[in-house]
Amino acid sequence: MMDCLKRFFNQCWLYYKGSNAHLDWEDLIFYRISIPLITLIYYCFIAKNSFHTDQLTKWVIGNSMLLCNYSCVFTIGATFKGERSYGRLKWLIASPCSRIATVVQKGFFFIFESIATVILCIAFGSLLFGVNFSNVNLGLFAIIMVIGILTAVCFGLFLSVFPLLFDSMNLILNLVNVSMLILCGANFPVEDLPGPVQFLSWCLPFTRSIEAANMLFGEVDKGRLLTLMGQEALVGVAYLTLCVALFKVIEKTAIRRATLEIF
Amino acid sequence: MRNAIRIILGTMRIQIKNSFVRPMYRFCLIVNPIGNTILLYYMFRNSSMSNFMTYVILGAGLSSLWECICFSSVGDINRERWYGTLPVIFCAPAGFNLIVLGKIIGNTVLSLASMAITVFTAKLLFGAGIQIANLPGFIPAFLMAVCTFVVISQVFAYLLTLSRKTTLFMNCLSIPIALVCGFVIPAELLPDWLLPLSYSLPMTWAVKLIRGTFDVNFTGKEYLLCFTVQLIEVLLYTIAFQLLYRIIEREVKIKASLELM
Repeated sequence: MMDCLKRFFNQCWLYYKGSNAHLDWEDLIFYRISIPLITLIYYCFIAKNSFHTDQLTKWVIGNSMLLCNYSCVFTIGATFKGERSYGRLKWLIASPCSRIATVVQKGFFFIFESIATVILCIAFGSLLFGVNFSNVNLGLFAIIMVIGILTAVCFGLFLSVFPLLFDSMNLILNLVNVSMLILCGANFPVEDLPGPVQFLSWCLPFTRSIEAANMLFGEVDKGRLLTLMGQEALVGVAYLTLCVALFKVIEKTAIRRATLEIF
Repeated sequence: MRNAIRIILGTMRIQIKNSFVRPMYRFCLIVNPIGNTILLYYMFRNSSMSNFMTYVILGAGLSSLWECICFSSVGDINRERWYGTLPVIFCAPAGFNLIVLGKIIGNTVLSLASMAITVFTAKLLFGAGIQIANLPGFIPAFLMAVCTFVVISQVFAYLLTLSRKTTLFMNCLSIPIALVCGFVIPAELLPDWLLPLSYSLPMTWAVKLIRGTFDVNFTGKEYLLCFTVQLIEVLLYTIAFQLLYRIIEREVKIKASLELM
């Protein structure tokens, strides 16, 4: 059992190290710190001038959470695409190891990276735009953040299966990122969107976490808060289940169509 | 002269075809303007600004245009390096400068479609159009903006020839330039310490000038000032990029780094 766990964590670390191996310190600072912070400032400035407000808490929290999309959506979503480029995809498919383990290994360390990104962006945004945390339950805030990130990681894992069939994953991932900017309620209330589009919003990660996190800065409705957190966790579980099921189906289709190594 | 035009037109044609087949470029050209328009519309629609659609359409259109340019023209020299064709076009008798100019004009012309998509999206989804208050002023302002984007793309493209981290810099240039040049919100609303940087970029003046032609209160004097400053900066950047080209050409020949990845 211990040996299995050790192997699992070794594989998790190997995947994480492999995804970052091509980056030196300069790249890491730009990709993981500068770009998220500049993006946060950009959307907060637009919100400041479009909503004519200096109270930018909602936008700092919402956009900070969405910024872990760079890890959760882009990096995790492209893992199998990476495996194809490295030439390891066919070995991975042929190996007798559990598909759930294979998928989870790819997202494990990104959970911590995403938490670090969100904390950094919130800290920076709070300093720059004066977000007041004095009346906020920080423990509850951390739980909401972690649930949101876990759901986003599951969503990223769900997306990561599609490169087994398609070669235009960058297009799909960017499309998802833009959709999340619009649909997750980070920049304007979800209720402003037309009814059918709101349904899509509630299917995405972060929509409920952002609403729950924003609630902590005002009047807290405990029942609503618990419902939001529970639903967010369920969305994550649904994506993970879909990911594993899809992985099995797509794997078979990819083998049949011989698209495993198509670029 | 006829020969130069032929080279530019030929390169433009190839570049437009090459760019359009790249999925990421198609995302920047088609999906991004639609996404930007929707996002900005919902952010600005309760802003109580009477001309908020101008901000939405110009903001989304210009940001999308810049992203197209940023993720294509700026990285084109590096892309040639990956294709293995950089030394060939560098030594071609047609002239490297002309070929790069043709590529950048081709990209810019194609990227203008993103502005058209923005206008179309706003009309289709929100039934909103834009009214140009000063149409005779808009045409030279728009043409000048296209020239500005071409010149700036050349400067960045040549600068990035020196680096092997083009993807990183393309990602780093996209949002900061859109913010500093006031594509979505006027540059005057930025902190004072950022204004010198903002005013030193000709795109800031291009945006001010275009936005001014949608505003009935924008005077002829303001128009002339923006146009003159933009023209001077474009000329200065053109001179700078010619000098830069000579330095880079020399560096590349000494270090033989054209094919270094």
